[in-house]
Amino acid sequence: MNGIKESVGPRRVAVCVGPGGVGKTTVAAALALDRALAGARALVCTIDPARRLANALGLSTLGNVESRVPEHKFAEVGLHPKGELFAMMLDVKRTWDELVTRHAPDPHRRERILRNRLYQQMSSALAGSQEYMAMEKLYELATDRDYDVIVLDTPPTAHALDFLEAPDRILDFLGNETARALLGPVAGAGKLGLRLAQLGGGYIAKTLARFTGQEVLADLGDFLQGFQGMYDGFKDRAAAVHALLSRPEVGFVLVTSPTPVAIEETLAFHERLHAESMPIAGLVANRVTPDLWPGDGPLPGAEALSRALAGVGGGDDALAARLAGTLAEHQALAAAERRALDRLFAESEAPRALVPRLESDVHDLAGLARLAERL
Amino acid sequence: MTGKGGVGKSTVSAALALVAARAGKRVLVCEVNAQERVAALLGAPLAGPVIQEAAPGVFTVNVTPHEAMREYGVMVLRFRTIYDAVFENRLVRYFLRVVPSLAELVMLGKILNEARAEEGGRPRWDLVVVDAPATGHAVQLLRVPSALVDTVPGGPLRHDADWMEAMLVDPARTSVALVTLPEEMPVNEAIELDAQVRGVLGMHRGALFVNAMPETRFSPGEEARLAALVEAPPPLGPAARAARLQALRAGQAARYLTRARAALDLPATVIPLLPIVEWGRAAVERVADAIEAGAGGGPA
Repeated sequence: MNGIKESVGPRRVAVCVGPGGVGKTTVAAALALDRALAGARALVCTIDPARRLANALGLSTLGNVESRVPEHKFAEVGLHPKGELFAMMLDVKRTWDELVTRHAPDPHRRERILRNRLYQQMSSALAGSQEYMAMEKLYELATDRDYDVIVLDTPPTAHALDFLEAPDRILDFLGNETARALLGPVAGAGKLGLRLAQLGGGYIAKTLARFTGQEVLADLGDFLQGFQGMYDGFKDRAAAVHALLSRPEVGFVLVTSPTPVAIEETLAFHERLHAESMPIAGLVANRVTPDLWPGDGPLPGAEALSRALAGVGGGDDALAARLAGTLAEHQALAAAERRALDRLFAESEAPRALVPRLESDVHDLAGLARLAERL
Repeated sequence: MTGKGGVGKSTVSAALALVAARAGKRVLVCEVNAQERVAALLGAPLAGPVIQEAAPGVFTVNVTPHEAMREYGVMVLRFRTIYDAVFENRLVRYFLRVVPSLAELVMLGKILNEARAEEGGRPRWDLVVVDAPATGHAVQLLRVPSALVDTVPGGPLRHDADWMEAMLVDPARTSVALVTLPEEMPVNEAIELDAQVRGVLGMHRGALFVNAMPETRFSPGEEARLAALVEAPPPLGPAARAARLQALRAGQAARYLTRARAALDLPATVIPLLPIVEWGRAAVERVADAIEAGAGGGPA
């Protein structure tokens, strides 16, 4: 069976998805590096890289733009890429602002939205905002730039569905006609109260205002009003992003660790991608405990190990006992992980890779290159 | 209890509750709109949004925005029928979903309301453990009252934000515990989180839990001897490789533990890595044993 690199190779976009804390960012960076070494112009877009990885990629300066990993970073570790590697870190707030700026019909409207308190909160805090903007940025990078390959890291989501549903959910919010009719346009809070009282179920709106205060509703009305006319642009864009994700030039790489909780979440991701006919390019199990004992025979006890130690410089019963215990513990964990991973692998024909623990804990370009060898 | 995702917050929360219950305390563990885990870890059926006893003296609940909003609404409006008419309205549900801080406020309100509740002249709970969301979301949750105090001039929301904020920043009543693994990213996040708890939230920080700490099992001399044996035929080679991986991991963990201790001026409880394959009540009891042993008694 081909490896994940071969499966990702011909694609223009690879999206790394999976639970939090499994090493998605590292795998994404390794995939992009691998293509750059082979001659491609490759970009990795990360969300929240570990500091040392960010440094390795030359990402010490933040910003929503791509920067090329400098030649000397490769030379330092003896790598000579035939292509180029670019890296960037997603800035959610700035991506929102760029989106608003692109769709606003005039500077006045743009400023009205950018200054709205609710917009400011929403763009950084609304659930799904980060996922939505990751998708948005991907679309921009895929359509407006000339990279041979873009590898996208994705935010750690609490729920597997957030990722694909976030754009719809936020658009549902922006495009809610009833809310817009109810709340806008308003000149002042008093007028808003009047309007709320007049409209369907007056006491419903009044009760709501009692909870949130009139200011919050006024902000919301102002915000929705500001978006009027821009909604269709947003919606078309989200539809285009969704369409892009189903194209064969895109591949999803599911990254997981072999713990039961991570496997459960990854299975949910897989099911969801499958249901949406999103192309799955590979499964990466990261931080796997390697199987060290050949065959199915029983593990050695302390006595056998002490005899073996005696043959290579001196028996040591205490050390042998600890060795036997350590090996038994190690193999029990490896077996449990293998059982959990088999459940995942049974669901998919996609290429898979097992990356052993420790080896995946990499912080420099050389380490990323070694990780890529495993994929 | 907060920290990076995947560090074992739910397990440590459940174990801490057991420790307190062993000392005769009545404990409530609140999960915050999560995939509920604590009740199952204690070997009990899931509680959902209704408080249930999961182990003697330990009660659990999963606080969801919908249920918390309903309870809050009924409390403010006094009548369930009015609440149902208003809050089950589709448009209103839409507002509740999109007004960013409202869900956090009502969930936090429900938790703090339990924490201050009294029955028969004494507190309903001796200890309320909040299995809070991961780092960034926890800060978002805990800063909602102060944000409202800053922006909302009056009304019932402001009133509630006031008492909630007072309770959160009172070191005699509320304390933040950080949970981490002895690994790079979790420790970095714990350090950044600690700065936010001090700077942004102004809350008391009470404890650091370092979870799943591997033991130092082999002496440097033994490590050197084993390193030369990793290519040996079985049984010695595989055993030496397992030992070497254990030693590498323990060495790395020790460095990150040192880093966490140096950067965080907090009493640290180190929970050893336990060779547990099936997580359940028995496993959590063992974590509780470790917390008791590490802290030299129950929690303050």
